[in-house]
Amino acid sequence: MSIVQLEHVRKVYDKKVAVEDLSFSIEPGTMFGLLGPNGSGKTSTIRMMVGITLPDSGVVRLFGEPFKRDALKRVAYLPEERGLYKKMKVIDQLVFLGQLRGLDEATALKRSHEWCERLQITEAIPKKTEELSKGMQQKIQFIATLLHEPELIIMDEPFSGLDPVNATLLIETMLDLRNEGRAILFSTHRMDQVEKMCDAICLISRGKEVLSGTMREVKSRYPRNRVQMTFEGDTGFLRNPGIEEAKLYNGSAEVRLKDESGAQQLLAQAVNAGTHITRFEVMEPTLEEIFIQEVSAGGNVDA
Amino acid sequence: MPSNIFLIAKREYLERVRTKSFLVTTMLIPLLMGGGILFSVVKSRHSKAASHIAVVAADTDLALALQDELEHGKDSAMQVDVISPPTGNTRQAVVDETAEKQIDGFLWIDVDKGKPKAIYTSMSNADISTMQSIESALRRAIVREGMQRKGVDAGEIKLMMAPVDLETETIRNGEISKSDTMTAFFGAYVLFFLMYMAVMLHGMNVARSIIEEKTSRVFEVMLATVRPQEMMAGKLLGVGSVGLTQIGIWVLAALGLSAAPMASAVGAGAIHISFSAGQIIAFIGYFVMGFLLYSGMAAAIGAMVNSEQELQQFNMVIALPMAVCMFVLVPVISNPNSPFSRIISLIPTCTPLIMYLRIAISNPPWYDIAASVVILLATIYGVLWLTARIYRVGILMYGKRPTLPEILKWIRYSD
Repeated sequence: MSIVQLEHVRKVYDKKVAVEDLSFSIEPGTMFGLLGPNGSGKTSTIRMMVGITLPDSGVVRLFGEPFKRDALKRVAYLPEERGLYKKMKVIDQLVFLGQLRGLDEATALKRSHEWCERLQITEAIPKKTEELSKGMQQKIQFIATLLHEPELIIMDEPFSGLDPVNATLLIETMLDLRNEGRAILFSTHRMDQVEKMCDAICLISRGKEVLSGTMREVKSRYPRNRVQMTFEGDTGFLRNPGIEEAKLYNGSAEVRLKDESGAQQLLAQAVNAGTHITRFEVMEPTLEEIFIQEVSAGGNVDA
Repeated sequence: MPSNIFLIAKREYLERVRTKSFLVTTMLIPLLMGGGILFSVVKSRHSKAASHIAVVAADTDLALALQDELEHGKDSAMQVDVISPPTGNTRQAVVDETAEKQIDGFLWIDVDKGKPKAIYTSMSNADISTMQSIESALRRAIVREGMQRKGVDAGEIKLMMAPVDLETETIRNGEISKSDTMTAFFGAYVLFFLMYMAVMLHGMNVARSIIEEKTSRVFEVMLATVRPQEMMAGKLLGVGSVGLTQIGIWVLAALGLSAAPMASAVGAGAIHISFSAGQIIAFIGYFVMGFLLYSGMAAAIGAMVNSEQELQQFNMVIALPMAVCMFVLVPVISNPNSPFSRIISLIPTCTPLIMYLRIAISNPPWYDIAASVVILLATIYGVLWLTARIYRVGILMYGKRPTLPEILKWIRYSD
């Protein structure tokens, strides 16, 4: 059973089509990346999953059933626009949000303390929210989202505004949650994180799906035609006819080949010419390259 | 889900009751209001015209009678110099005295074909109470003098001219009881202003609280679990309960103060305030309805605007209908059951304050009360329905303020 399933979902605001014929599904225990440039429809898609808006056509299924508000008790949602009650005490706030998601007061209190310890933020517990730093508020928000032990966690741009230390802590926590069997969907446009963390992705642009599948599937669709090498000596091998494009740096080069088979030939030519090679690596394209290539192929990076 | 509404209301209530501003408004509003009204009532009761004037008349008897009236009259305690009969330079003398502020003014009386003609000259032209005192004193002096000339016995004149006290009684629930018009007004007045302040304060608090959630972006977090309607209902319930708590404190304090021993202790014994149970029920009932009506309007405004500053521009929508109630206060008090008062009390935006006032100071027919409640409830329903629809869309809109056509479109959106 898929945790989330979107079937031909479409959403139009006034005359602007925000999401068009979008379908994907997320399995339990998966880290799912929803990618796309700014204004591509990520937030609109997420809002339909948590019932803030309804699709104009198509179906959103949660836990195998058509969308019902009851299902939201098993879902966590961290919106891109974070918000907490500024004047409220942190612990009151956490308990209140926990209760809204169906916890009783004692459980909400207990779990709040546990989470604050886990995220190393116990000193914030007795304070008012407005007294906290931005990073601490993010952590509190994160805790508030997870208190009710949701099976599906949806996060819109979770890393925006986090320093590297806290971003790493968040990544580790998300991986832990994934390993506990929860499904996690997050949107971002930072490809390095997606590449490290995600099991599956869906790339959308202008509300339409451009690319989707597991990380392996997606990458295997692209040829392993990147070569990175470090060397000393003659650079004549860069004139090899199999090379489509080459960038020469000080003692290293990045080469894109016309096809995968050209790599061995290139290596042979360089060795024959007496070039001293210390590194020669054949690579698949990075997700970032795929992203830029696919999105600009549509000619529509809104940035 | 009702439990969500309850949780939201509880949060709203606790967060508000704990604030300093709740404490301050609860203490300060009745103190200022009660103090101000008490002061003006006491002042108007004991204020007598106390000017120092000169009376110039050829007729000495009339001048002396007038002096007596003005110095020892029912509502004047003036100091009066009599110049009678005037000489050639008297006029210049009194004009100079007035200009030098030795006296406040002078009254010049001529007798023209047996009919006295009086002119009062002073430095100011707006001393209404002095004018009224002089006018009534002059009339009484002329009557007294006239009777004296006709040979009426002085004792008889005194008896005839003695002031008459009018006592008032009211019939309530078939029982006749002595009423003190002044204290009835006083009580009704205080509660009228308290309701005015409470509806205004808490209505605007609803708008402010919505804007706060909007600017802090809590809405998105909340909406992933609760419906917008639940948020709005919880908010109205929470803020409304704060208002009721405040009013409860006021009513208890008023009852405590009006209890006999307390009243004499604080020296307010002269002004005995009494609230009947019916009046208190009417007060609370109309407060709740007034709060729902105005806070419903305020909630719609709160959902449409993006900041406190923008809210200020829309204050009028709330403040103006409330101000109308203040403008009609005097005609309604002076004649609470006139057609004008009845019509005003049936206009929904005025009903809570004006109908309550009519109930407090008179006995309006039951069908007037029933009609006011029915019309008011229907209006509240309509306002809340519209507000719920504006709210649903408005709270997720940031940035540009919506235009009227856009708002109409929000209202037409289905779920």
